[in-house]
Amino acid sequence: MISTLISLNWKEKFRSPVWAKNLLANIFLAFAALMLLFYAVALGFVLSFGLDEFFPDKDPIDLINGLLVYYFFVEFFLRFFLQNVPILSIQPFLHLPVRKSKIIHFMLRKSQLSVFNLLAFLIFTPFAFAKIGVEYGMYTGFMWWIMIIGLMFTVHFKTMYFKKRLNDIPNLFLIMLVTIAGIAALDYYGILTLSAVSALIFNCVLDIPPLASIAILGWLITYRMNFVYLKNNTYPEELTTNKANNKIAGEFAFLKRFGRIGELIALELKLILRHKRPRTALIMSGVLLLYGLVFYPQEVYREMDWFFLLIGIFVTGIFFINHGQFLLSWEGGYFDFVLIRRTSYRQYFEAKYYMFVAAATIAFVLSLGYGFFGLKIILFNLAAYLFNIGINIPFVMRIAMYSPKKIDLSKGAAFNYEGVGAAQFLIALPVLLLPYVIYGPMVAIGQDILGLCLVSLVGLVGFLFRDKTIDYLTNSFIKNRHKIAAGFRAQ
Amino acid sequence: MINVSELSKTYKGVTVVNIPALQIAKGESFGLVGNNGAGKTTFFRMILDLIRPSTGYVMSEGSDVSKSEDWKYYTGSFLDESFLIDYLTPDEYFEFLASLHEYSSGDLKEYLAQFEELFNDEIIGKKKYIRDLSKGNQKKVGIVAALMGQPEIILLDEPFANLDPSTQIRLKNLLKKWKEENQLTMLISSHDLNHVTDVCERIVLLEKGEIKQDIATSDSTLKDLEAYFAAY
Repeated sequence: MISTLISLNWKEKFRSPVWAKNLLANIFLAFAALMLLFYAVALGFVLSFGLDEFFPDKDPIDLINGLLVYYFFVEFFLRFFLQNVPILSIQPFLHLPVRKSKIIHFMLRKSQLSVFNLLAFLIFTPFAFAKIGVEYGMYTGFMWWIMIIGLMFTVHFKTMYFKKRLNDIPNLFLIMLVTIAGIAALDYYGILTLSAVSALIFNCVLDIPPLASIAILGWLITYRMNFVYLKNNTYPEELTTNKANNKIAGEFAFLKRFGRIGELIALELKLILRHKRPRTALIMSGVLLLYGLVFYPQEVYREMDWFFLLIGIFVTGIFFINHGQFLLSWEGGYFDFVLIRRTSYRQYFEAKYYMFVAAATIAFVLSLGYGFFGLKIILFNLAAYLFNIGINIPFVMRIAMYSPKKIDLSKGAAFNYEGVGAAQFLIALPVLLLPYVIYGPMVAIGQDILGLCLVSLVGLVGFLFRDKTIDYLTNSFIKNRHKIAAGFRAQ
Repeated sequence: MINVSELSKTYKGVTVVNIPALQIAKGESFGLVGNNGAGKTTFFRMILDLIRPSTGYVMSEGSDVSKSEDWKYYTGSFLDESFLIDYLTPDEYFEFLASLHEYSSGDLKEYLAQFEELFNDEIIGKKKYIRDLSKGNQKKVGIVAALMGQPEIILLDEPFANLDPSTQIRLKNLLKKWKEENQLTMLISSHDLNHVTDVCERIVLLEKGEIKQDIATSDSTLKDLEAYFAAY
């Protein structure tokens, strides 16, 4: 039975269309994971052998024990946002003659094989044996290590439980944030030193090693909590994290004034606001407006201000880079309708183009505030803005049409590589580098203002010829539409 | 109205549709029957220019559907859920379509009023996204959306599946009425031989992509078809 489940699990992973079609994204992800693990190993060795050098006047064991509480807090948050709980994968088994508890046990045990559980293991294992083991004896070192492993799994199941309860208790997250902020404040003002508490607790284990079993107990208890909860709540509609809420967001009646193009833009805005992933991309664009604050105030950067153009491209263009790279993928779920509905393809692309232009314009207007750091920054952003609307937007739109992948809108944003293909890897570079093809040589000959004017001019010319570029986009779409539609249908 | 010539679609050497010639006249009600894999949906998709034919073409009112977009303005269709924008409420979806058809909000209200019985008070004015509706209700939304804008041609794939018995009968009467009043050319594919012979004047039987029978519906058609499929 268990072996059947395991084999089903493998098949689920490797036969998922996302896996096969996004080989590139998977390689990238695997590489990133490997890097992360490598850093964890390196950190583990630094902790064991390098701490004396960095903090010669402190006892490394005291120091680490003092920091452990913080570490587990961070791990909790990391897991909270990034770790996926595959509860729904039990749905196809519910009506079969398999014991519920068997399935749940299997799912819970399998979840322990998460990459996140390697993190603490890799970071603290060397420390447990090479440091504590050497100073306090191998038995103590081993027990300390057991405690770390126990705590790690406790956090694992605690987070899982927490995420599930979030549905029942909507304010849970808020309560948690307030609690943690409270503790952090107490810590900050020195009323209660968290590191001292942490050191106190974990040093106990060094004195009385069997206390480590408490962590193992925590592991078992949190496991049990999850099990009992799932056992009593295995109704798919109760398990889904995105419940149907009765709030209908956004009307955008004002856009109707702009005729059919306005209608199409309003539709796209609804798509963005009603789904987690595009919404996250939108919020990111808002946050990135502040990106300039990192660089503009610094004297160092102001002396080499040629790269401010890059920041300008980002600040005014992040929305179309983020959203536009998946141009058609967002609508993959109803693409057949896009093809048969009573709008011409040209209007479809016009709507998308003007939506991106509007977003860039809003970002540019907001970025005018950076004039506070010097008028030249406005010039940079203006050049970047014009180049974006004239050249980069059509460019991104064209690249995005290159074998797009369907995006399942019901899924969240974190670690979601759905829709990512070769095109998405290709997009960023030219967008960022193209303006420098014009601007770079001018800087080299010391004419950087003239260079900016030239970049603006090229952008402006592109914008003036927008009807031609939209025609071009429409025609390339018409040529590829069957292939794209078939691709979406197959996924 | 619709003129099919030398139409075929081949996937990796397997021909799924092969129709040398087929004409559908204006105002005709055309029923397509056939087992799974007979090529019904592929054929409909080629009429709607959703699939590129391997050979041949589909002409609608004299122009090739893959070359001009004119057909969109007089063709209503509903093949499957991918024709619905599932993150809109039914009201929003109808409003969106109404704007494409240049309906005023009064026109839309009037249009939707005819379907009050069909909707059974479960669709209009409910704060529920289309994706959260039942399959049957999604189908109702799709069919009503397809009929909007007084189309001259309508294509429906399995319109009776997933619907409750009352709705099936209502839909049948509705289609008949619309056809009479508006000279509607109707293309329907269905597994329900009973309904399809009732609604359609002409039945085409597809098997492995080829037309096996092309008959004008008579009293014996249903029996003949049943006999054919039983022996298949």
